[in-house]
Amino acid sequence: MPKHIFRLIVVLVVFFAAASIAKWYFTADSFYKYGHYRADSVPEIAAQEPVLQTARYCQSCHSERHAQWSANNHKSVTCEVCHGAARGHPQNGKLPIPKDTAKLCSLCHEAMPERPRTQPQVAVAQHSGGQQCIVCHNPHAPKLAGVVAPVAGDVAAGGSKHAASCASCHGEKGISPNDSWPNLAGQHAAYLVRILAAYKSGDQKDVVMTPLAQPLSTEDIQNLAVYYASLSCVAPPSQSRVGDAAAGKAVAANCAACHGETGVGSNPAWPNLAGQKPVYLVNVLKAFRAGLRKDPMMAGVTRGLSDADIANLAAYYAAQSCQPATQVRNKP
Amino acid sequence: MKEINPALAARRKFLKKLGRAVTYTGAVIGAGTLVNAQSTAAKSEPGAAGGSFPTKDYDWTKHRWSYGVDATKCIGCLRCVEACKLENDVPATAHHFRTWVERYVYLEGEDKPRIDSHHDPVNIEASGSQREYRFANSYKDAKVDKAFFVPKLCNHCLHPACVQVCPTGATYRTKDGVVLIDHKYCIGCAYCVQACPYGARFFNYEKQVSDKCTWCYHRITKGLQPACVEVCPVGARIFGDLDDKKSAISQFVRNNRVRVLKPETGNAPNVYYVGLDKDVI
Repeated sequence: MPKHIFRLIVVLVVFFAAASIAKWYFTADSFYKYGHYRADSVPEIAAQEPVLQTARYCQSCHSERHAQWSANNHKSVTCEVCHGAARGHPQNGKLPIPKDTAKLCSLCHEAMPERPRTQPQVAVAQHSGGQQCIVCHNPHAPKLAGVVAPVAGDVAAGGSKHAASCASCHGEKGISPNDSWPNLAGQHAAYLVRILAAYKSGDQKDVVMTPLAQPLSTEDIQNLAVYYASLSCVAPPSQSRVGDAAAGKAVAANCAACHGETGVGSNPAWPNLAGQKPVYLVNVLKAFRAGLRKDPMMAGVTRGLSDADIANLAAYYAAQSCQPATQVRNKP
Repeated sequence: MKEINPALAARRKFLKKLGRAVTYTGAVIGAGTLVNAQSTAAKSEPGAAGGSFPTKDYDWTKHRWSYGVDATKCIGCLRCVEACKLENDVPATAHHFRTWVERYVYLEGEDKPRIDSHHDPVNIEASGSQREYRFANSYKDAKVDKAFFVPKLCNHCLHPACVQVCPTGATYRTKDGVVLIDHKYCIGCAYCVQACPYGARFFNYEKQVSDKCTWCYHRITKGLQPACVEVCPVGARIFGDLDDKKSAISQFVRNNRVRVLKPETGNAPNVYYVGLDKDVI
């Protein structure tokens, strides 16, 4: 064989050998296993950790809230839509509770011509007058029906019932003589109806109140509620010093959306807190925290409160004027 | 012609030898490849026999994933777009996204719809942020003839053009019907971004690779729904297994007159739509 031909063959053989070694070396083992791709990349992609954890994950701790949410109209809006992705929670801290609900809710409920008619929509500016949505709507149970049912009762009949059954503890004019029992004067009638009905039905229990509320008729409850609502809430300042009102003001910012900035709320379904007895407030907040009083909203917001927070909150609300700010200003 | 020209004879001899050399070299390489293939097969067999692929709890031969969009239900809240970006670590700008929602508005007296999406400047201004998305209520006082939203995403085609053009085998279709990207093999040439007739792919400038919807492959292989389906508050997005006749997607495809986008491209897409207008492409 001529030399130059031999050389050519050697070069070719070396080239092919080098090429096949290079291909063998640079191609991942799994490359042609299932096709023209690296099979190992499939388990790599499948192994990524999910970020959104689903409502079932939230349920494992927040079962009460989950039960309320899943029984109401927002059950198709999962927890993480509003509270953010739950990966790393609770280890890495709390998830946000949206503050600007007017912005959040309008993502779905602002009236737009593009939206299907079946979607509940409002022209936000006219509907709320600039208020946050959660002033009236509980985001976990958004429908208002029944919550603020109108209260129609007889003030005089309520007055005589009060004198007979309630005045010894709650005071002659609905202002309680000691700091552990609540003032009822000037309270929202709808709230009082709800609470008395809860004592009557057994949804809410109290050693003293349960036996007193059980014999009340629905009519009695309505009468009592309008009677208390008609009384003046102005009360002498309470004697107990339970905490630091200034520190309580900071905590109270979280309650303002429902109970008003100074504890005078605009929604009659929820109680006014301004001027309320401080020891009573402490007891109620602790009862919510311990689950003795059942309310999904209050259970959630009291869960993170320390004893000191509760004492400060109570001191803050007890020190506030029970009358709306505008009326106070009108006084001479 | 009996006497052969010596020059021709020499040439014939050379060609014979060359032929033999090529045959032998071919045989050697062939044998080498065969040995190599056998060793690969030997390596892969225990894995295939010992458990399911790609994870031990999930066998990709037992599923045929598909996706449905009911455009008549979409309210344009864009929770899907935000959830997708959280779930899949998509760059936090309005212009990089794996799924998006288009708004079609037909105004009185106009023959063409006005189309925009969350990354339109008007809508970025309405949300005030590149990370949060909302549609500006631009048409609330306009005379609107007809208007609706259309969610869009990768169609996970049966014959994907993007896979065909990939020079490195970095993108492929899995046996359960999902088109994935191997980010370790992607060289970032972005041919696939150009090839996709749906504009479903984008170039991820943070990772320097092509990126797109995976139907949340890491979620569906764990029995979860894709993030966008999980958060959709109105059920406009439906996902499931076509091999399971009771799944939501099987019922969706069976009970509705569905259509796909751009069937004429021959990609055979796997996202089925209900409630599209003639102008939606």
